[in-house]
Amino acid sequence: MASRLVQGQEGETGGRLADPSISYPIIPAGEQTVWADVSPLIASACNDLQDGQLIHGENFSLFAAMSALEIMDPKMDAGVEKCGYYSIEEAIENNVAPVPLSLNPTLDVQRVIDVIDHLFSCEATWYKGHTLAQTVFSCIYLLRIERTSSHALLHSYCRIMRATCNAVISVVSDSRTHEEEDLFTMAYGLPLKGEGDEKCLSILNSVEETISRQLRACKAQSLKKKQLEDIEPLQSNPDLEEGYCRALLCRLRFRKHYYLVLTSMKKPQGKGLELARKHVASCLSELTHITKSQEFLRALSYGFHQDDIQSSTTASGCRPIGFDASLNNRFSAPTPPRATHILSWKEAVSYFQKLLSDLDFVCSLNTDLVLDDVFCFIVQFQKPQPDLVARAHLQLIINLLKILCANTAWQRRKLGKILQDWSVLSLQLEIAFKREIGETLNVMVDENMSTKVSKHLLRWTEERTYWIASRFLTLGFELELYSPYDYCMVYWFMYLVFMKLLEKIQLQSAANNENSQRKGKKKKDHGKDQIRDASFSSSTLLIHCYICLSEGLAMILAALRNESKAFHMVGPFNGEEERFIQHFDLLLKAHVPEHATYYLFKESTGHARISSIIKDNCFREAQKIITSLRGSYAGNSDKLIELQQLEQVAERNRVALSVIDQIGARDPSLTVSFEFTHHPHFAIAVIKRS
Amino acid sequence: MEAAAPVVVVDAAGTTEVEGEESEVFSPSDVEYISYGGEHHLPLIMGLVDQELSEPYSIFTYRYFVYLWPNLTFLAFHRGRCVGTVVSKIGEHRNTFRGYIAMLVVIKPYRGRGIATELVTRSIRVMMESGCEEVALEAEVTNKGALALYGRLGFIRAKRLYRYYLNGVDAFRLKLLFPQWHHSPTTNKDGVHLHDNQYGETQIVP
Repeated sequence: MASRLVQGQEGETGGRLADPSISYPIIPAGEQTVWADVSPLIASACNDLQDGQLIHGENFSLFAAMSALEIMDPKMDAGVEKCGYYSIEEAIENNVAPVPLSLNPTLDVQRVIDVIDHLFSCEATWYKGHTLAQTVFSCIYLLRIERTSSHALLHSYCRIMRATCNAVISVVSDSRTHEEEDLFTMAYGLPLKGEGDEKCLSILNSVEETISRQLRACKAQSLKKKQLEDIEPLQSNPDLEEGYCRALLCRLRFRKHYYLVLTSMKKPQGKGLELARKHVASCLSELTHITKSQEFLRALSYGFHQDDIQSSTTASGCRPIGFDASLNNRFSAPTPPRATHILSWKEAVSYFQKLLSDLDFVCSLNTDLVLDDVFCFIVQFQKPQPDLVARAHLQLIINLLKILCANTAWQRRKLGKILQDWSVLSLQLEIAFKREIGETLNVMVDENMSTKVSKHLLRWTEERTYWIASRFLTLGFELELYSPYDYCMVYWFMYLVFMKLLEKIQLQSAANNENSQRKGKKKKDHGKDQIRDASFSSSTLLIHCYICLSEGLAMILAALRNESKAFHMVGPFNGEEERFIQHFDLLLKAHVPEHATYYLFKESTGHARISSIIKDNCFREAQKIITSLRGSYAGNSDKLIELQQLEQVAERNRVALSVIDQIGARDPSLTVSFEFTHHPHFAIAVIKRS
Repeated sequence: MEAAAPVVVVDAAGTTEVEGEESEVFSPSDVEYISYGGEHHLPLIMGLVDQELSEPYSIFTYRYFVYLWPNLTFLAFHRGRCVGTVVSKIGEHRNTFRGYIAMLVVIKPYRGRGIATELVTRSIRVMMESGCEEVALEAEVTNKGALALYGRLGFIRAKRLYRYYLNGVDAFRLKLLFPQWHHSPTTNKDGVHLHDNQYGETQIVP
């Protein structure tokens, strides 16, 4: 006997059982299944346990506990929610996704466009981090593609949507960025694989061709020209034919070009990147036409309710038919379902515009140049360096490149972890080098080629190591990991790291100069050297600027702490030393730099006073450097923007410093806060008087 | 004791709000803090957490914590009514003996008066006395109240966890390091450390 879901039992501790006043629909048993009532069994099992007793399995871990679901708890049990249909079949039986979408050809076309637009919004929502099941595959037409085969337009669009989803999922899973992309690629229970998806482009092309001919026909008719062929119009209202044809064409063409972007970018060794850029341009152009079509579509509501233009998920404003977000709730295991807010159509358009320009940026990467440089560098590397070091080095570089592509939160953790590896590598290189030479690095003697390369490699590795350390520290600002109580020590540490970085760059530059002098290089090589020297000198100047700003900020904060106890916090459980150790744990463990202890921090900052900082003039020095850098960076808009930001930081801090000096740091009416209004890493002191 | 101005919300994973008219008038000294005493406390804890936090916990999760570490769970009562609770655990985590704060809730009318701080402080004190080296927890990056509370107690934001919560919000991993019997390593010019420190370095200059 088919039975109802359990209802009406008295609630146990923490039990959230079915509401006895609601009657639940009966789910029929399948061919191989039968319903059995287990209420008496459960009841007697409950009676068997006393209050406070727990059956504790050996593998009862926190993970197991957290993964457990309580049946009938709506926060955890997807099936208990009464809204929506129980199955796709039930929804179809209730005419939620008819094929055709309307018997009226005009309304049918309108509704197809609404489906296309809503799918577009769902797609953008999926990319932003929701599940496929609750976005794109909330579309019943996609869930049962075979039903659409009688409707050429809808069918071809569904086929290419499915193929596009597959392409995107495979790119994300292949990249293995370990960025918790599992949610993105989760497709359990969804009909993603389809036969003949390679043909989807040709199917789409033939539909596009038909509509193009329909457009030509209606334009010819409006000009009272003789038609070359007898073609059935797209829909039944001649006044709307052109508008509908155009609206459909740009959407189909966007889909086609977007799919081609993905397939081009997937070609090995970057062979398809240039072609991909062309398709990106086509996509952006079609997006403009799609946006323009909104005016036409919005005017035709056919009496249906139209959503507000900002919140609607379609261009026309009408709600699309054929979607049910709750159908796939059971497929979003193991997490309970969350209401997914689908982006509006306008937001989706902006999203894709940005996505396409980001993809274009990736495609513009000059792979030849970058890989060649790395390759040549490694090839130059000869014995007697052991092979293992060379291979490990190459792997470290590639790892570093991969890490830099990840989201910043994950990136920072990884950068901290690899510091140890880079530091050890430097050490190994140094030991190997010393062993070969048998003397200190600073003595310049007649060196053979491999010695020079070893030295170069060692310095390059050391420079990279400090670069990683500086990025680790500055990312902390972007990720909002530091509280104002931490700024002083962070800037102090940045000061140390930038100093070391500068030292390594300057060593490298000096060695290069020496090499070119001794070799008596030919004229044509000088040009290349000059460019390299110029870039060396501007990067050293920029680092010098960072050093001044870091020093200045560390000292202001230290002075304020020393003179007025501002930015000084003593917690009930620990002090500043523990926070120092925690923040810089990975750097300290890797000895990057050496001897950067809390003791040294206290020594360096313990006597800071506002008056002495003004005398030191760090910010003015920074400003001088910035002025001289403007010339070198002319034409480089990114660098010029940063210079502008750094200039603001230097100027405002210089002014703030003199204001604090005038008022007196100990004045109780003085409040100083530090804001990141201009540069993401270097704060500006903001003064308030109460 | 914290100032009476009702400003921030202090639950571990809930939303932040500014309190105002809904506040209950009471004196902080009227609040009783009690260590977990048994099964009779469990429904109170579950009720509070279910009501205030968005992440669902099964009953197994509650029992896991309060059965294994009853001395780390505290409840706050005002005139017989349970108004707040903290649930924590202790364990070995990658070679560190570490405390973990799993849930912290204070009902709305009682927020902003230091109850959450007191609950957490008691739990941390037990952790410290049990020999923990550090304490950890996660909090939403948008939960200003929680971040301020733990910041005042000496926690730092150790990591940012991208899209940690089901609603897509990032989280911070917060960590508090207890002072060990280390001293700040002072070095002579050969770089030899004078004390044992937390990095496991045991070179000692005679």
